[in-house]
Amino acid sequence: MITNRRKHIAIAMTLIAPFVFIFGLVFLYPTIRVIELSFTDAPLIGSGEWIGLDNYKKLLSDNLFYTSLKNNGYFVLLTVVPTTVIALVIALAVNRLSGRMQALMLAAFFLPYILPVSVVTQIWAWMLDFQFGILQPAIAFFVGERVPVFRHPVWVMPTVATVTIWWTNGFNVLLFIAGLRNIPTELYEAASLDGANRWQLFWKVTWPLLWPVTALVLTLQLILQLKLFDQVYLLSGGGPFNSSYVLLMMVYREAFQLNNGGYASAVALVLFVIIMVVSVLQFQLLRIGGRK
Amino acid sequence: MKLFNLKSVLLATASMAIAVPAFAQTEVIWWDFLAGGDGVRMKALIDRFNQEHPDITITGTTSEWGVPFYTKVRTSAAVGQGPDVMTYHLSRVPLALSEGVLTPITDEDLETAGLSKDDFFDRAIEAASDDDGTLYAVPFDIHSIVLYYNKSYLEGTDYLDENGELTGLDGLENFEAALQVAQENGSQTPLSYQTGGEGGVWRVFFTLLAQQGGTLIEDGEVLPGDNLDKAVRAIEIMKSWTDNGYQPQQAEYEASVALFTSGQSAFHLNGVWEVPTMIDMENAGTLGFEWGAVQVPALLDHAATWADSHAFAIPIQGDQTMPEEKRDAVMTVIGWMSKNAISWAEAGHIPAYRPVAESEQFLEMEPNATYSSLADSAAFDPRSTIAGVASPVYEAALNLIAPAIHGFLEPQQAAEQMQSELQSLLD
Repeated sequence: MITNRRKHIAIAMTLIAPFVFIFGLVFLYPTIRVIELSFTDAPLIGSGEWIGLDNYKKLLSDNLFYTSLKNNGYFVLLTVVPTTVIALVIALAVNRLSGRMQALMLAAFFLPYILPVSVVTQIWAWMLDFQFGILQPAIAFFVGERVPVFRHPVWVMPTVATVTIWWTNGFNVLLFIAGLRNIPTELYEAASLDGANRWQLFWKVTWPLLWPVTALVLTLQLILQLKLFDQVYLLSGGGPFNSSYVLLMMVYREAFQLNNGGYASAVALVLFVIIMVVSVLQFQLLRIGGRK
Repeated sequence: MKLFNLKSVLLATASMAIAVPAFAQTEVIWWDFLAGGDGVRMKALIDRFNQEHPDITITGTTSEWGVPFYTKVRTSAAVGQGPDVMTYHLSRVPLALSEGVLTPITDEDLETAGLSKDDFFDRAIEAASDDDGTLYAVPFDIHSIVLYYNKSYLEGTDYLDENGELTGLDGLENFEAALQVAQENGSQTPLSYQTGGEGGVWRVFFTLLAQQGGTLIEDGEVLPGDNLDKAVRAIEIMKSWTDNGYQPQQAEYEASVALFTSGQSAFHLNGVWEVPTMIDMENAGTLGFEWGAVQVPALLDHAATWADSHAFAIPIQGDQTMPEEKRDAVMTVIGWMSKNAISWAEAGHIPAYRPVAESEQFLEMEPNATYSSLADSAAFDPRSTIAGVASPVYEAALNLIAPAIHGFLEPQQAAEQMQSELQSLLD
């Protein structure tokens, strides 16, 4: 029995060893190094002097940090809930279709998701180009004039958010479809027999049973959108006058353009902590909300 | 039989492996950012070099100008994956020195190339050296922005003299009057330049600042004293060109060139590197109008024009040092390029190598001759670790000045914000 148990543990250890090894190599070790680096004045490559909390002090008095933080928050507001609502609506609609038609619609909505970010931004940069963009006449129709959307302090964030939602929404639709299919049809039948209308079916059956998926989508979205970088970098470069500057842009600029590896690590670490705290907090809140 | 075959294959392989070093060619990995009209000229130069040198092969790669190029250079050089030789802007040398990505170019190196420091303009050698006088790059050219013009909009006006050359544009009032005339003659946006990008905005802004005698950075201070007001004035002038419809809004680089080459803009402020574009189009008969290029007129207090230099530099190779043989090959390349810079002058540039720049062949070259005097009024980027191509200064041009000239930010605000942001990077 004891030898068996030992053998058991040995097998278990061997099985998780590859994971532990890779986790340690590509996540744990770099994380520890980033923490270490954030207390030094290291350049991008090479080591630096230990300077204690100076990087963090500098960060707290850096205006760009607060601007970026604010923009990150604004972007989360613009994307997380809207993309979840849109995905849910699309999923409910697609779910009513059947067979080939359903597969076709699902593919149509999922298609943008498989495009690389550089292609997505190219498509939208051309469609919204100030001089030649195909969408500019539409904007001019509603607003009265052409708008250089990625160069306009008010338009830039909402436009980047729209592009992001268009790009990533397909995945959320997929999650919702999976969630909807998990709801047993008997429940709907029973509720219908009891005289529930469509509205009641949604709020009393679909919504509560789908809540775990909704909570998951919201949390995944929150993490994803806080990590915003590619779209902003490629579409607006953080401008105009920093109105689309976000924390990861700051990390990139400090590390690769200004050669401040230490300071960049400090910013990256702060972002890491923010994402961790916010997402754990949100997930817990949503779970409590779901139990009621 | 099968075995025999295998044997002969092995033998052949072995003998080839031995034979290769006997025909050894040194491969020189070359990186540049020359994607405009001048890039074509550079590729022709590289081809000619390869033909004339059976023992050296240049393998060239062109990356995107600006931040993408310089970010790639820094990270790759630091880990030894960079090129053997690359083009580099002299405006960026202070930044390069602080990053430590360049290797010093010794007198022996220059000797290998058949060059000496005296062969180059002093200003260029100074810009390519550190404070102790150690050379880090071999200057190749001096380039600036010039004013291109489309004669068809100016015919019959006072702005063309009897030879059909541009005249009488000195002073802001005269210049704007000419823009007005061109506009009345049907040029929708008479003055095109890259208003939606860092390069174009910075070059025009810095020209206007320098024409007021202003400087951006002095003794570690950004826009000290009345330089702030001069910067505001420069931005206000650019903004008024937007307000009057003289310049296109948010024009990307390619669009700004296309506005001129398609005949929509009467004037075009851009670097000399687009000269070959005009020449090629004219020769192919696709330009459709007569053009000229002159030094940027003295719009404000005195003549001054933004200028920079291309140079060749040898990056560090991570922890390794470049083998001597390779380094000699690289210096041979640099020497040959300097001596054949007359072909580079066809790309609009002014050679930094004096024997070529002072040769009759160059002095007679058109349109270079009309602006080669600008070497005297050239205003180079401030020598600072935050200035130069792909630096925070260029970034500020895009992030602050560009919105201001389109009316999203007050000129005063833009200048002040630029001052405080750049100052915080210096402190």
